[in-house]
Amino acid sequence: MDKVAFNSHSLRAAKSRLGVLLSNPLILLFNVITIGLLFGSLSVLLLTDMSIGWLLVGFTAIPIMIAEWHRGELKSPRSIEGSVDGLLAGDILGGLGKNPTPKTVVKAVARSHGGIFFANRFGITSGFLDNITTDQPADCEPIWQSALKIREEAGSEFVSGAVLVVAIIDSYSERDSLLAHMKLDRDDLLSGIRWYEHVRILINKSKRPLRTGGIARDFAFGYIPMLKRFGQNLSENTGGMHVELEAHQKALDQLIDSFGSGGSQNAALIGAAGVGKSTIVRAFAERLMDADAKVPANLKFRQVFMLDSSSLISAAPGRGELEGLIMHILGEAQSAKNIIICLDNAQMFFEDAVGSVDLSNVLLPILESDSLRIILTMDEQKFLQIGQRNAGLMNALNRINIAPATREETLTVMQDQLLFTEYKRKVTVMYQALDEAYRLSERYIHELEMPGRAFKLLESAAGYAENGLVTGNSVQQAVEQTVGVKIGVAHGEQERDTLLNLEDLIHKRMINQTRAVQVVSDALRRARAGVRNENRPIGTFLFLGPTGVGKTELAKALGDVYFGGEDRLIRLDMNEYVRSEDVARLIADGADDPNSLTAQAMKQPFSVVLFDEIEKAHPQVLTTLLQLLDEGILRDIKNREVSFRDAIVIATSNAGADRIREYIQRGYKMKDFEKQFTDELISSNQFKPEFLNRFDEIVIFRPLDKKELLQVVDLILVGINKQMALQKISINVADDAKEFLVEKGYDPRLGARPMRRVVQRTVENTVAKQMLGGNVEPGTVIDITLDEVRKILNDDDSSA
Amino acid sequence: MVMLLLTSLFQWWYGDGFRERIHINSGRLENIIDYFSFSLLLKTLFSPYRQISAGTTQGSLEVKMRAMLDKLFSRVIGMVIRLMILIVGAIVIGVLVTYSLVSIITWAILPILPIVGVILMGTGWTLEWIR
Repeated sequence: MDKVAFNSHSLRAAKSRLGVLLSNPLILLFNVITIGLLFGSLSVLLLTDMSIGWLLVGFTAIPIMIAEWHRGELKSPRSIEGSVDGLLAGDILGGLGKNPTPKTVVKAVARSHGGIFFANRFGITSGFLDNITTDQPADCEPIWQSALKIREEAGSEFVSGAVLVVAIIDSYSERDSLLAHMKLDRDDLLSGIRWYEHVRILINKSKRPLRTGGIARDFAFGYIPMLKRFGQNLSENTGGMHVELEAHQKALDQLIDSFGSGGSQNAALIGAAGVGKSTIVRAFAERLMDADAKVPANLKFRQVFMLDSSSLISAAPGRGELEGLIMHILGEAQSAKNIIICLDNAQMFFEDAVGSVDLSNVLLPILESDSLRIILTMDEQKFLQIGQRNAGLMNALNRINIAPATREETLTVMQDQLLFTEYKRKVTVMYQALDEAYRLSERYIHELEMPGRAFKLLESAAGYAENGLVTGNSVQQAVEQTVGVKIGVAHGEQERDTLLNLEDLIHKRMINQTRAVQVVSDALRRARAGVRNENRPIGTFLFLGPTGVGKTELAKALGDVYFGGEDRLIRLDMNEYVRSEDVARLIADGADDPNSLTAQAMKQPFSVVLFDEIEKAHPQVLTTLLQLLDEGILRDIKNREVSFRDAIVIATSNAGADRIREYIQRGYKMKDFEKQFTDELISSNQFKPEFLNRFDEIVIFRPLDKKELLQVVDLILVGINKQMALQKISINVADDAKEFLVEKGYDPRLGARPMRRVVQRTVENTVAKQMLGGNVEPGTVIDITLDEVRKILNDDDSSA
Repeated sequence: MVMLLLTSLFQWWYGDGFRERIHINSGRLENIIDYFSFSLLLKTLFSPYRQISAGTTQGSLEVKMRAMLDKLFSRVIGMVIRLMILIVGAIVIGVLVTYSLVSIITWAILPILPIVGVILMGTGWTLEWIR
């Protein structure tokens, strides 16, 4: 690469140095001198006979000229292509001195707007840059070369402080690891430069006075008292920062074309909530009010009024009254001749429901006759629903589709809109927070589309700012608090302990099945250490085995130990999904069925999802679950993506339970027959191979032996003692009595399940009798002997 | 370097600086023209004021005649109000144009003001006659 020349003796460099020298205090002094000279000279001329006053008047011109020169040129000399000193921003060039080193460059950058921007938005401070630079003048060369390249890449006019920050990092040998440490990459830094330039443009634009037609603008148009009362004038207070996205630009042009031409005078903006339909209408209103904007003459200075159905309904509750009111308002708008009506959430005007009313009969003739310009905004699905009921309405509307914003567009919208949030909430939002808001909102916010969903999350993250800074961590906290999921790597001491000892904690609730407990624990640890595939559920497991061996219990234990309670378990008994139509129930909208799988997962994405007795589900239901198991996504009936990527998915099945028992009885170890057993399940058509392949692990639960059942008895007794603790009573069962309970409760076909019934019946009956007999006082330990157990169970048997 | 900077100052003053001065003044003028809605007032000089009595009327000849008279009255009222605003606007614009011209001329002669001051001082002329 050619050597890049830096000439500190160039005229531009001298001008910049002078510009920096004449900083604000000095310019203020010049202004004081000007006023002093002017008053002094006039006083001398008018009050004395001395002609020196003329000299003073003449000299007044000097500070004025210097101050004007400083404002107009020295602060920001024009760029000159071909050299670094010709392209460096004035504030940087002026602060560099005659023989700059990388460290002096850092100093100049730290004082520049671009440098301050990067320090605040990216956390790349001057101290940080100072650590990666030297004080060798020769080391400036790679920085200049890099800066010129970056300036071209980012499309900046100058080599600004922002460009230099990136150039300094770029010329550092450990750049990538350095950026990775800050959770950034080089593209992010380039986006940062564009963001900085964009903010500068916005600030300059906001200084431009907006010409909106003047005091007599509306003289030729009618009065609109009712419309003012019930509508919101979007054309007032224009001059806000509406981002004009590529997608929005197209919609705006379509709006202007529709209304500017002699064709149909209505437009229906169709798109999901959050895509920016209202923003487009506001931008449209703003453009019509801008005297300098290119819009057809018949649209210039037309005012856009948004009508709100709820305020209309509350003012006129009866249908007749409401129709009368609407007719009056629309008539007023029509007579005024300069009004465009916007019906936001227009479905509220076309269907009878709570807070909405069907005014098709009133509105359709107006839409068809084109006598009034109307914009409708509507959700795609509502639009189709209304269209089904009222084909005439569908035909009368000019449909304009609004697509959700892309990642780049969403970041741009957030960068613009956050200026208001920052002002209101007194916070500074970092770039990492924007990135995280996009990523996490895509995953956890379902009711809105981009860019609305990302911005909504960013706004809530403002409440979790640390020292006034909204960071990526603030966004994670906002999601963790509002959605109830755990994001990122486990950091709390308690959580780390739980994760490291997960197996022990689970085994406090269930006996053996160590392999199953381990695979589930490993999956969870991988997830919380951030080393899992984020585009799949935390883990997907199929538990196979006879009934009563702990398959469901493991799911419950996991929910209790790690996910914060058994209520964190989304449990579906698949024997309720045996028909193909049951797929609809599985993915039903939460408003219709709050217990549907998708509704529960939307409400509680961080959970254990348990499909009990999966083999009983209809094949269509199993096919529906394939995408869930594979990608952690399921689309609900409204076609919304519901994420299961923060869930552990467990399916249990008794399929082949007899074969498992048979293998065990024949002395096989589980490891030896797992593969063969899975093949048997496929060949016997109990499961399709593509279904079984979707699971991370297929774990076979073996039947419990008597020794393990003794441990189960102990666990059951712990549970009973917990219940009794309220009455300050505890129970102690003799070892031989426990063995007898195992004898009575053991059923090889039903596993440990009958055991619970036997133990509860025995112990609770004994305690109940003793309590009623007045033999038990608070603090008593009730000892239950073999004889007592034998008596109760034998009595029961004989009575049975 | 000092000479280069001085030259640069004069170059800017009569180049970009002068253009910027004209731009600022013309911008100010455009703002005032917009504020008084000049072009809109001229375009709608004879339109009914605030659309009062502006609609079409059906009925007998008498009713139509009355409506026409009402509309005519509305137009006359509108015209009077608009003319008044146009006149006030024209006066304000006249003042602003004068101010802008003075400002531009002052800009042009400001660099030679020190020399003029030296010459006037040399002539010994004073403002004794004013007192």
